[in-house]
Amino acid sequence: MALPQSPPVTDDLCQCLNASVLRFDNREGASRVNNEAANLSLSGVGMVYDVPNGEPVAALEDISFSLNQGRLLTLLGPSGCGKTTLLNILAGFLAPTSGTVTLGGSQIQGPSQERGMVFQQGALFEWLKVSDNISFGPRMNGQKSAVTKRIVDELLGTVGLSGFGDKRVYELSGGMQQRVALARCLANDPKIILMDEPLGALDALTREKMQGLVLELWQNTGKTVVLVTHSVEEALYLGDQLFVMAPRPGRLERTYELPFAKVGLSVAPRELKASPEFIEKREEVLSLIWEMEEQIMGHEDGR
Amino acid sequence: MRGLTERCYSVVRSLTRPLRRSGEGLTNQRKTVTFGDGSAVSSKVLISAASVLVLLAIWWAATYKWGLPSGFAEQAEQAERIENPQGRFSETKLVRACEADPQCSYSQLLNHRTLPSPLNVLKAVTELASDGWRQNTLQAHTWASLERVLIGLALGVLVGVPVGLAMGLSSFWKSLFDPIVEGFRPIPPLAFVPLLIIWFGIGETSKITLLFFAALWIMIIGARSGVLSVKLSKVHAAYSLGASKPQVLARVILPNALPEILTAVRVSLGVCWGTLVAAEIVAATEGLGFMIWDAQKKLRMDVVVVGIIVIGLMGVLLDLVMRKLESWLIPWRGKG
Repeated sequence: MALPQSPPVTDDLCQCLNASVLRFDNREGASRVNNEAANLSLSGVGMVYDVPNGEPVAALEDISFSLNQGRLLTLLGPSGCGKTTLLNILAGFLAPTSGTVTLGGSQIQGPSQERGMVFQQGALFEWLKVSDNISFGPRMNGQKSAVTKRIVDELLGTVGLSGFGDKRVYELSGGMQQRVALARCLANDPKIILMDEPLGALDALTREKMQGLVLELWQNTGKTVVLVTHSVEEALYLGDQLFVMAPRPGRLERTYELPFAKVGLSVAPRELKASPEFIEKREEVLSLIWEMEEQIMGHEDGR
Repeated sequence: MRGLTERCYSVVRSLTRPLRRSGEGLTNQRKTVTFGDGSAVSSKVLISAASVLVLLAIWWAATYKWGLPSGFAEQAEQAERIENPQGRFSETKLVRACEADPQCSYSQLLNHRTLPSPLNVLKAVTELASDGWRQNTLQAHTWASLERVLIGLALGVLVGVPVGLAMGLSSFWKSLFDPIVEGFRPIPPLAFVPLLIIWFGIGETSKITLLFFAALWIMIIGARSGVLSVKLSKVHAAYSLGASKPQVLARVILPNALPEILTAVRVSLGVCWGTLVAAEIVAATEGLGFMIWDAQKKLRMDVVVVGIIVIGLMGVLLDLVMRKLESWLIPWRGKG
């Protein structure tokens, strides 16, 4: 049961480009945004799960925002805040119980190749070679083998895996596997890329390298990216825009416009992450999430 | 020339690999805790060879102690051959020879038949391979059994895999087949033999039907659990890449379920082999099961032992073939 799309309201996200913090007030719908150039737009999206022998759980409640073409949005929040549910709704794997999601004006109904998805490790097709993994999308869409070969060669170079096309996926390290996953997603030239904790299973060093690659791909391709992460540092470093979500019910708690992703490639990442501005933001977000966790604990203890 | 030498060397190396496994032995040497560490338990070829030899020695010693004096049967046979070159050596002649010899007793004569010596078994192998048993050579009996198993198994795979896939993919098919599968699965296939013989006679139809049912339930369950073991993120990934339902089935679900399907084939093969031999004992005119049952009625225990050994060896061989097939067809197993 999808609600009709809400009429245009004020565009305060864009007005707040310079202000670093914007408080969402979902109940009054003050943050509902509509923009001519808006690429992805959600209005009043809610998700209620029916639990046997219990009250229905609101995984998401009245989520409304819009995201312009070419932005990198990171979603951060304590476990149970519905960030993965939200991403699955955007991908079309879940249909929200209320509200509408549109991409480029048309409503999202089920998965589609215009919305590429990068999963946590283990979503590659291990029975295929690296090159066949990357060409999977184009092949499913009936592309000629000459075309897919060109796409594969180009993307192998883009993600830094030239010469690895004939390897089996399981012969690669975790970081390299995620490079293949990025290339596989890019092969279909999607309008938007959704990433569900893509670097979550990697070791710290590989993770930092891969963050650089994500930024590079984002800046070079100009794609819209939505990335879910549980690392505050990653959310701040990669997010051109950051939504901190809160649980019970899952909602957007606070949104940040961040400067770090734009300069992420020109400044050394370590230096950037050690800068006072970055540390200040990190502490702020950490304490915000810390508070939420405390509240959850309080709920569970019955206090 | 150099290539040939290298190839010979690699063959020798592959043959002796179990004797000195590179690296593993070295790390195990330095381990101080080995009791309880499964990876430190390795196979020692010499000990295994010794156990086989000891088993053979016990067998031989038993026949030596309780059977006819060594060379007795052979001598009697030779004497008979000289006397009557065209005639077949009959049991009566051996009994007469034993009665004539004070060293020989009736119990030894009986033991000679019920407990064949390793040498007699070897002789039976050559006899069965050339003269055969009941118009069929040992090879023909083995092939008859193998053919039944392969046909029955193939039918079981052809029907079981699609049904299992359908059960893993749709609530309708799962609900439809669940009571049938769960109801029939616990029944040992041999319990159907009386019915099948009445319905289809003692020919090939009843046996292949029996093997079909023996393989069917295992294949259905294997294929279904193969589908259920597919990681959801892989299916999601395929749909996001623009794959249609048939494409997801053929390109993602099937390759993902293949390891479990092949495991089910391996298990079915073992079950079918065991079931078949039992079924052939009940009613058949050829096959290994028939051969050992028929030989027992004629007190030819050497033939029975040959049959048992061939049944065992074929079981091992079939399993080996399946393992090779698995490592060749699904090198990605367990690496997703």
